[in-house]
Amino acid sequence: MAVFENAEVLEKILGGFFRLLSGTPEVADKLIKAKLIIKFHYTEPDLTLTVDCSGDKVEISANDDTKKPTVEMFMKAEIAHKFWYGKVNLTAALARRQMTAKGPIPKIMALLPAIKPAYAIYPKYLDDNGFEKYNIHK
Amino acid sequence: MQLTDFFQFHAPTKIVYGPGLARDLEAELNDLKARRIFVITDNHVQQMDFYQETIDGINRTGAQVVGVFSDVPANSGLKTVKQGATLGSELEADSILAIGGGSVIDTAKGVNAEMSLAGDLMTDFCGTHTMPHPLNPLIVIPTTAGTGSEVTLVAVIMNEEEKTKMAFVDRYLVPNLAVLDPEVTLSMPPYLTASTGMDAMAHAVEAYLGVDASPYSDALALQAMVMIRDNIVKACQDGQNIEARGNMLVASNLAGVAFSHSMVGVGHGMAHSCGGLCGVPHGVANHILLPYAMRYNLNACEDRLGVLARLFFIKGTGLTGRELAEKAIDAVFELQRELARGAGMPVRLSQVGVKEKDLPEIATATLSDGTCIYNPREVVYEEVLQSLKEAF
Repeated sequence: MAVFENAEVLEKILGGFFRLLSGTPEVADKLIKAKLIIKFHYTEPDLTLTVDCSGDKVEISANDDTKKPTVEMFMKAEIAHKFWYGKVNLTAALARRQMTAKGPIPKIMALLPAIKPAYAIYPKYLDDNGFEKYNIHK
Repeated sequence: MQLTDFFQFHAPTKIVYGPGLARDLEAELNDLKARRIFVITDNHVQQMDFYQETIDGINRTGAQVVGVFSDVPANSGLKTVKQGATLGSELEADSILAIGGGSVIDTAKGVNAEMSLAGDLMTDFCGTHTMPHPLNPLIVIPTTAGTGSEVTLVAVIMNEEEKTKMAFVDRYLVPNLAVLDPEVTLSMPPYLTASTGMDAMAHAVEAYLGVDASPYSDALALQAMVMIRDNIVKACQDGQNIEARGNMLVASNLAGVAFSHSMVGVGHGMAHSCGGLCGVPHGVANHILLPYAMRYNLNACEDRLGVLARLFFIKGTGLTGRELAEKAIDAVFELQRELARGAGMPVRLSQVGVKEKDLPEIATATLSDGTCIYNPREVVYEEVLQSLKEAF
């Protein structure tokens, strides 16, 4: 069974998490420096989230086909959930095609140091925003 | 040994070895049902005796060489791939034969993708595992012993407009057949023998030290290192030594299978950046940077570097683990010096066109290189810059 009941819940949780990160200077400043538009394609449930770092601030939008992404990532929502817990071995996930990346790989790699603080933020974010039941540590 | 949480081993390329084998591929071509073969090579290889003998041999089998694309430059790019794919499609080729070094082989992978898939290589398939189905048969005859690309799932192709090297990583890019014929490598001059051979050594060492190393990749990487250790100097000293040439070709192939699984690390990251920004040939950059990359990883890999020390005949008696690891790095420095004396190899970045002012930009580019996630230690700007300064 999928971790998230439907796309609305997924948008609330992951979209909300991205919006939190976009207001976290430690992460957002580096994302803005990268000047990328990243589109995450999730399945089970189906949803896309676009993280637009091409301007002066990070903008998050769901199911947005108006922006041309620099980089696209494809994965099940469950893998994304585990990833933000720091529980996905990225190299294994890429090798097993649990995650696929479309676009210039160096630009994707450049983001990894930027998102590092996010792993610690995610479980706390779930607890603080009424999503405790999704906290896999509970 | 401590096993990682996950590893896999998938080496689908059929590998055949034999001196003179490139002239007689009937059995292998029949297996692949390759009938209309499009050859991709470069102008230099096309002038070699073995090249025409290979083409003649194919045409005697019932298969047919329908065309040849030889305009492949040293650092091939997307435009070259497009040109090759257009020609191959016009000729209605059903398979591709790449004869050459890394640039030719990677171009052939790109051409094969363009010809086999509906879509644009750059727009639709740049990245990791983006290709929806298998490609046409790809046969590779490597003419250098270093790249390993004849067995890897990676193609690195230059985006001329953005002046960046684009990485395509996909299981369907892996060639179907690798023909290892040491006779085709006999004419390589000592400098090229040394630089491509040290590229293979860097593949083996970094595959062994990387975070995704497994017992499978270890076995291949260690055997590759032994064969390179025993043969690289011999092959440089006597290019006609078929045994040394054969060993180097097989070692390069083993290292290729190893790093196709456990990838490479910061050494290759620095080498890619030196190549992209300053035009340093890939093998030369790896030759110079390998011991510095090993030193970068010393704190994370003492035990594994200790294994390499023994491989270089260093006895561990009375030495701490760290001292033994440092001896392994010294042994690679010594091999560098030997190749400098015997093959004229440079040992410093300052000898190959890199300027001191370039180092910060090279360090920045290294951090964005795809290899960094496979390095056993975090790749940090200040420390990469320090390594580059030491290698300068």
